[in-house]
Amino acid sequence: VNDRLDSLAWLAALREPCSALAWSLPQWERVLRIARRLRLLGRLGESLAGAGLLESLPAPVVRHLRSEMQFSRWRTTSTCWALDRIAKVLADAEYPRVLLKGAAYMAQGLPNGAGRLPSDLDILVPQAHVLDAQHRLMAAGWSEGEVDEHDHRYYHEWSHEVPPMRHPVHTLELDLHHNILPPVAKVHVDAARLLAHAQPSPWPGWWVLQPQDQVLHSAAHLFQDSEARERVRDLVDLDTLLRHFGAEPTFWPALAARAAELGLTEPLALACHFLRAWLQTPMPADSARVIAASGPGPLRRAWLHPLWAALLMPGEPDMSPPWRQDAAAQLLLLRYHWNRMPLKLLLPHLWHKVRTARRSEDTPAALP
Amino acid sequence: VLNVAATAAPTLAQAGAPAVQRALRGAGLHLDLGLVALRVHSDAAHLAQQLCSVYRHFPLHGANAWADVHVALQRARGLRRWWRPQVQFFCDGRIAFDPFPANAPLPLMEWSVNWHIGRRINDTLLLHAGVVERDGFALVMPAIPGSGKSTLTAALALSGWRLLSDEFGAFDLARQCFVPALKPVALKNESIAVIRGLGAAAELGPEFPNTRKGTVAHLAPPARAVAQVHVPAQAGAVVLPRFQAGSATELLPLEPTMAFTSLSFNAFNYAVLGAAAFEAVVGISHRCPAWQLIYSDLGDALNTLAGLWPGVVNKVRA
Repeated sequence: VNDRLDSLAWLAALREPCSALAWSLPQWERVLRIARRLRLLGRLGESLAGAGLLESLPAPVVRHLRSEMQFSRWRTTSTCWALDRIAKVLADAEYPRVLLKGAAYMAQGLPNGAGRLPSDLDILVPQAHVLDAQHRLMAAGWSEGEVDEHDHRYYHEWSHEVPPMRHPVHTLELDLHHNILPPVAKVHVDAARLLAHAQPSPWPGWWVLQPQDQVLHSAAHLFQDSEARERVRDLVDLDTLLRHFGAEPTFWPALAARAAELGLTEPLALACHFLRAWLQTPMPADSARVIAASGPGPLRRAWLHPLWAALLMPGEPDMSPPWRQDAAAQLLLLRYHWNRMPLKLLLPHLWHKVRTARRSEDTPAALP
Repeated sequence: VLNVAATAAPTLAQAGAPAVQRALRGAGLHLDLGLVALRVHSDAAHLAQQLCSVYRHFPLHGANAWADVHVALQRARGLRRWWRPQVQFFCDGRIAFDPFPANAPLPLMEWSVNWHIGRRINDTLLLHAGVVERDGFALVMPAIPGSGKSTLTAALALSGWRLLSDEFGAFDLARQCFVPALKPVALKNESIAVIRGLGAAAELGPEFPNTRKGTVAHLAPPARAVAQVHVPAQAGAVVLPRFQAGSATELLPLEPTMAFTSLSFNAFNYAVLGAAAFEAVVGISHRCPAWQLIYSDLGDALNTLAGLWPGVVNKVRA
């Protein structure tokens, strides 16, 4: 084994935990750092614990795995509790309440449902009922944060969700969606089609998207988002979904067809490209061909693939990100804004952003 | 014990700032705090000098040892460096907090490292408390705002008690004892002069004015505390200090429930650890006598606690 494990090779241990038994202490030190940075440390811990291997690992390693699992389980418990409360609030509503992303994986008991660090809850309801859901939640103590007039308009007219809601008792942020992509974006999805195929989940009161739509949502979310730097975790989610749902023989042909139907062929093709190259995700050759052929053509691939590779590849923990990644991030951010809104909406929106220079969760915080 | 430390690696103070600087710029400086080990990289101009002052008794190890937290303090890039240079804190290559002025890397490192320890160490109950040891038993002082916990912890560490921690009362759940989380004691404003007044044993680092908490200076952990950084201590007593100008020294016995609330409500990861944390704090509150200590004269407070201790040790042992 190489002394510097490849920055992606360790991901195999999420599926084959035994491979981690061969790692030396210096290799473990690096894996812990990279996994923590990618928010995959809890998942790694759960995989190893699930295989009964924690006892076989060196003590300084185990404490970090156990610590992160403890933290993740606490956040997961908080999430489940909040979902239980929200299910009660919406119990007699006459429309489906669909869990998206992390909460959906948790509700279905998928392998990537364990070890997460949930900080927000994503829920989809039909657009006609968003206000009703919001009023019910507000009556139960949820409230919109401080939102100025511009942001209010942004959320209600141009966005696919209402402003994030908070609750004095719950630590999570609640994102109430009426779609998975903004309605004004170049690539947008008819939410009614998603809702028409939603399925009940094992959690009472909660639905999830059908398997193909879960994959397409995850891919669209990753490849059409504003900040996708080092988002290997999303690829790992996709890998887990595809390995899990792909066991059903009808899944892959249906996935390719559904991507075409929803207009999400490009994000699916990009996802499959990186999943095959980086995570060796198995996919039937004929479906893979159809998906690749319906994705970006050779000219677009020639610049899209290297850009996304530079953006997604995790960096070395002791080094600042390579200039390639900064440049790729800038270019893809430009593309993101370009695709998200027509120019006549985008320019005033960006101008407002610059003026208010609002801080997002990922920007540095002042020390207490 | 001191001889062992002297024959092994030189301390930071003995090695001197240039050697520490080389470590910071090269393979990294390894600092064993007991609860965790740090690896620090830096190209900041003042950090080596500042570490030599407040980590002076820590050994200058080879860099190959295991580290739990990896941090870097680097000069901030960009145009601002020409007129208002700053230093930036990185953990695992990520910026977590706003930068500090370039001449204050130490307080940035101390606060940021505390934040990361509090976030990632969840196999140990991290109370927010000062902990010192005498005769093998720990005196635990929960951090209640305005209590003067750091002042009292620093003074005790300089008068016959062994310093385990000023920030993290780190309670090992498996072994049911306190373990050192040894870092410089951050003193604020008036307490800096008070501790400086205790004499030459009070090894204080540089003063940093105008931080968010006013002026801050750090007390270097004494050599004995560093030498015993892996020696745990049984829980002995809980004392809630309260500095009250002009008051006579007074010890008021507290019910176990008061000890319980003051410990559990002042903890970093109490909620994260759930039932295990609850049971640990209930155990401490039942086993250990608890007092409120009202004082204005520091020397008198120290004498009172020293006089109290033989009785505590007898009671807890029995």
